Amino acid sequence: MKDEVDLDRVWLGVAAEVWRRRPGPVERAVGRALRSPGLARALLKTPSLLLGWVIASAVVVSVGWAATLTTGTPYVPLLAPAVAGAGIAYAYGPGIDPAWELAASMAVSDRMVLLVRALAVFGLNAALGLAASAASGTAAALTFGWLVPMAAVCTLALAAATVSRSANVGVAAGLAGWALVVMGGWSATGSLVAAVTVTSLMVPYLLFAAVCGAVAWYATRIPRRTT
Amino acid sequence: MNVELADLTRRFGRTRAVDAVSLRAGPGVFGLLGPNGAGKTSLLRMMATVLTPTSGRMRLLGRDPGAFPQRREIRRRLGYLPQNLGYYPGFTVFEFVEYFALLKEMPPGQVSRAVAAAVERVGLGDRARAKLRTLSGGMLRRAGIAQAIVNDPELLLLDEPTAGLDPEQRVAFRALLREVGQRAAVVVSTHLVEDVGAVCAEVALMDAGRIVFHGTPAELTARGEDSGAAGDAPLERGYSAVLSASRTAAVARS
Repeated sequence: MKDEVDLDRVWLGVAAEVWRRRPGPVERAVGRALRSPGLARALLKTPSLLLGWVIASAVVVSVGWAATLTTGTPYVPLLAPAVAGAGIAYAYGPGIDPAWELAASMAVSDRMVLLVRALAVFGLNAALGLAASAASGTAAALTFGWLVPMAAVCTLALAAATVSRSANVGVAAGLAGWALVVMGGWSATGSLVAAVTVTSLMVPYLLFAAVCGAVAWYATRIPRRTT
Repeated sequence: MNVELADLTRRFGRTRAVDAVSLRAGPGVFGLLGPNGAGKTSLLRMMATVLTPTSGRMRLLGRDPGAFPQRREIRRRLGYLPQNLGYYPGFTVFEFVEYFALLKEMPPGQVSRAVAAAVERVGLGDRARAKLRTLSGGMLRRAGIAQAIVNDPELLLLDEPTAGLDPEQRVAFRALLREVGQRAAVVVSTHLVEDVGAVCAEVALMDAGRIVFHGTPAELTARGEDSGAAGDAPLERGYSAVLSASRTAAVARS
């Protein structure tokens, strides 16, 4: 019959409309900024950006802020890099992302997902740390005080996690590395916060971050040729 | 050819999981049979561009997966169901399939309709808004199949797709495979011989990382005739006969 209606097509149209999930304003904005709705969805599913993790990070930094206020020792700059390093190690990878293997076979490259997630986690932790530092009156020399060591710890955690393909190894490497630097600075100068206050360490931190970033980049590559 | 592999090898330490495999596959359903640990999953993961070969050459859909722009094009046209399907428990079936449709870079305007069609094709229409954590193993497997076919792939790779499916679902799934196989290359890895006999036009049998048989299911069946090999069905006897012969030859070589 000429006017026959294709009920299957109609049903699919209805079903698509009824079942579909409406992205929230944040997801829409991120999708526009990244020019990829898939990347935006992947970013919002970052394990270390989910509410529970963000709350835990905020609690740790808040404790540091409270300790800073009560003791006068700036604990926030010591805690923020450790929290950020752990968050970045837990941003993406096998065992962390439930559907990692599937995601790794997608057109949106997993390296891009990793990069976007790592930057977002770093940004969030930097914002938390900045807020806590400002509130505790230790905002002076913020950038050179702890953002640079935080970048070094984050890239170390990222490199260890990507090379070993284990978030736990990444966290362990980041925390151990940072603990060594803090303890080393303490024993050398007698100041607990030497790791973030000695300005001569900043260039080595930056160099170290660059090397770790290169290692992470290399570890996530796919060789051009297979023969 | 949708799949062209030449001397493809993958080593894990000293173990050769895939050992100099050469294969060509065009449109149709291609069965990959073999015992556990034969190398089927590693081979499929390389074809899914998730695992990098140690050596050898591979072209998928006429493209080189080693080059980023071509790999991206392959992945847009690829459907993949891994053996262990990870999932987000809080996602609904629709959200799960939609997520991967977006990661496959399908045009956003087509995504909702394509997802609805894929969910209906695997018979999960009545559970489209159910959270994945509430689904049975068979339903999760079907959700995995839905995400694999959502982009109407030219190359569909399925690793143990019928695991957890009941007999009725397996029959429906085989019909789906035949339909997809009319225009795409479908590679099905399984250790269930009856799945291969029912839908595959071609079959390869792997053992210890190597392909020890490549032909039609009828040819594999013929290998079992009068061989005295174990098995309840003719194809199973062919499977056992080929494996037994290959292992005997391997022992003789060593």
